[in-house]
Amino acid sequence: MLFSPKPFRIVKKEAQTTDICLFKLERPRGEKEKLCYDPGEFFQVSVPGVGEAPFSVCSCSHDFIEFNIRGVGSVSNKLLELEPGSYMWLRGPYGNGYPMKDLIGNNLVIIGGGTGVAPLRGVLKYVEKHRADYEKVHVFFGFKRPEEILFKKDMEVWNRIFDLHLTVDKAPKDYKGRVGLVTKIVEESGLNNKNKAVMICGPPIMIKFTIMTLEKLGFNHDQIFVSFERRMKCGVGMCGHCMISGLYVCKDGPVFRYDKVKGVHE
Amino acid sequence: MGKVLEKKRLDAFLRRVSRGADLIAPVKRDTLRFEVVRDYDDICLEGRPLFPIKKFFSPAKQDLFTLNLTKKKLFKEDEIKLKPRVIFGGRLCDFNGLLRLDKLFLSGEYQDDYYRLARENTLLLGINCDPPPSEYCFCESMDLERYYDLFFHDLGDKYYVEAGSAKGEALIMELEDYDFLIPPIRCEKKLDRKDLAKYYDDPAWEKENEKCLSCGKCTAHCTTCLCFDMIDELEPDMKRGKRYKEWDSCQFLNFTLVAGGFVFRKDRLTRFKHRIYHKLQYFRENFGVDMCTGCGRCIEACPRLIDFTEVINKFDQSRV
Ligand SMILES: Cc1cc2nc3c(=O)[nH]c(=O)nc-3n(C[C@H](O)[C@H](O)[C@H](O)COP(=O)(O)OP(=O)(O)OC[C@H]3O[C@@H](n4cnc5c(N)ncnc54)[C@H](O)[C@@H]3O)c2cc1C
Ligand code: SF4
Ligand code: SF4
Ligand code: FES
Repeated sequence: MLFSPKPFRIVKKEAQTTDICLFKLERPRGEKEKLCYDPGEFFQVSVPGVGEAPFSVCSCSHDFIEFNIRGVGSVSNKLLELEPGSYMWLRGPYGNGYPMKDLIGNNLVIIGGGTGVAPLRGVLKYVEKHRADYEKVHVFFGFKRPEEILFKKDMEVWNRIFDLHLTVDKAPKDYKGRVGLVTKIVEESGLNNKNKAVMICGPPIMIKFTIMTLEKLGFNHDQIFVSFERRMKCGVGMCGHCMISGLYVCKDGPVFRYDKVKGVHE
Repeated sequence: MGKVLEKKRLDAFLRRVSRGADLIAPVKRDTLRFEVVRDYDDICLEGRPLFPIKKFFSPAKQDLFTLNLTKKKLFKEDEIKLKPRVIFGGRLCDFNGLLRLDKLFLSGEYQDDYYRLARENTLLLGINCDPPPSEYCFCESMDLERYYDLFFHDLGDKYYVEAGSAKGEALIMELEDYDFLIPPIRCEKKLDRKDLAKYYDDPAWEKENEKCLSCGKCTAHCTTCLCFDMIDELEPDMKRGKRYKEWDSCQFLNFTLVAGGFVFRKDRLTRFKHRIYHKLQYFRENFGVDMCTGCGRCIEACPRLIDFTEVINKFDQSRV
């Protein structure tokens, strides 16, 4: 049935911050088909008796899925209580992710803020697997404070294989890393727009200022991909909740090329 | 060419075509309503029910799963049980509404099983609007299709009956041939069709919408509105429960609420515009037709008689 969720076993749970955990789930046993999802897509995750909420995949694999879940409400807080060995109930994958295949041969610029970094982790995991398909990969990640930095282990790897810029908005005096808004380091990077595709994910205000910065650097709107967050119920373009003008974020998005969504009415 | 049916033989005819099925028709009680007919004398074809037929295709509240937290299989799909139905006395706006809903529920990669089964198991016997049953009707402006299994036109002591499908054809085979041309529906109320994209900021929107209460009656009564929520509910033992679908309304503040308490369409005006743009622009962009059949129910049901046709008809052409 259309809305039937399937149980996926939790095999690993890693605390990222005080209210965020990274979960790794195995595909259901006995399921012959391999998992098939792309970076930027999402699943509807159920807590029976509470409800469902959408979560982006932040991995790239045919055998497992990872979700980075922040506790903000009824479903997400309950999910954070789950431990390895128990199950999460999923349906999906849904949505249109990042057009990774169309971008082969390009330089990638990846800009993320806060939990918005999660779907971009999926992109980077994809690029790790298909490294030869892409040229330079510039990564700009911003977090509020040092203790909110996500995926620290991955960051070490990405620092080696990609051009990684990590920043925090605020930090104590003895903090060794970079301090400043992510838009500022993007601006200072002096990137040009040659053969580049940009992927942005983060809070609406961060997306807005990042695009203004990119415009200053000479990027065109059709080089930029943004990911939107809306209230979602069905995930398949029926319930109407996620509509922005005539676009369904669940079905046509959540990733959109910016020139297609610029200035549309809510 | 169609057929003719004496009015005094209507009950017998309906009884025959609805054998083994539920007969649904406008029934007069406190108000006129589409209901399963118990007594043929209750059927009333004067006026049109303010509430459309969509509830027979996607109920206001529909169970999806039985939840049992003590079992390994936490979700059990609820079986869809549907008796075949015959709807008699629907109008062209009602049946065209189904064509619109088909786009939403049956045309894409994902389909709604309940809706499909309901569609496949319902015969549509329509009645012509001569004259239109409500002063708010404006279907003449909405390019309706002649979509039905059978269509009845009142000729005084008899009905002229025309088939619109093979199924319908078979039902009236035995009736006597009759030569008649069904007149088109003429409405006094009109919608002056315009390219809405040019008028998003027209002041007429605000003037009409000032009175809105965000009660959601317009969407609840709309022939084509079927936005829904999905809700989990547990019994007091907190072990068993239901996951169900329930109609929702884009006119409610919480419709676009996301984490952090942020709402994307915060003011009523934006929500009003979204409703009408969805109907007359966005749906057309996505599916090539309007998501409105001109039934006028949203106007008649509105406690403030908010009328979007007035808004559109009044747009200031000099501003574009
Ligand atoms: C495509 C997509 C991908 C996403 N990916 C991720 C991801 O990878 N990781 C992640 O952590 N999140 C992700 N999210 C966000 C996540 O889906 C939301 O945070 C979701 O709402 C959490 O559901 P919940 O049931 O926990 O919260 P809810 O219980 O729905 O509450 C969320 C917030 O909404 C408000 N709220 C809820 N109900 C009401 C009410 N009745 N009145 C007033 N305020 C209310 C509260 O402020 C509350 O904090 C994604 C969202 C989308 C659309
Ligand atoms: S029925 Fe009228 S008052 Fe109620 S939400 Fe609709 S337009 Fe507003
Ligand atoms: S928008 Fe109004 S007139 Fe159009 S189908 Fe819905 S209720 Fe009828
Ligand atoms: S989530 Fe239901 S239409 Fe997009």
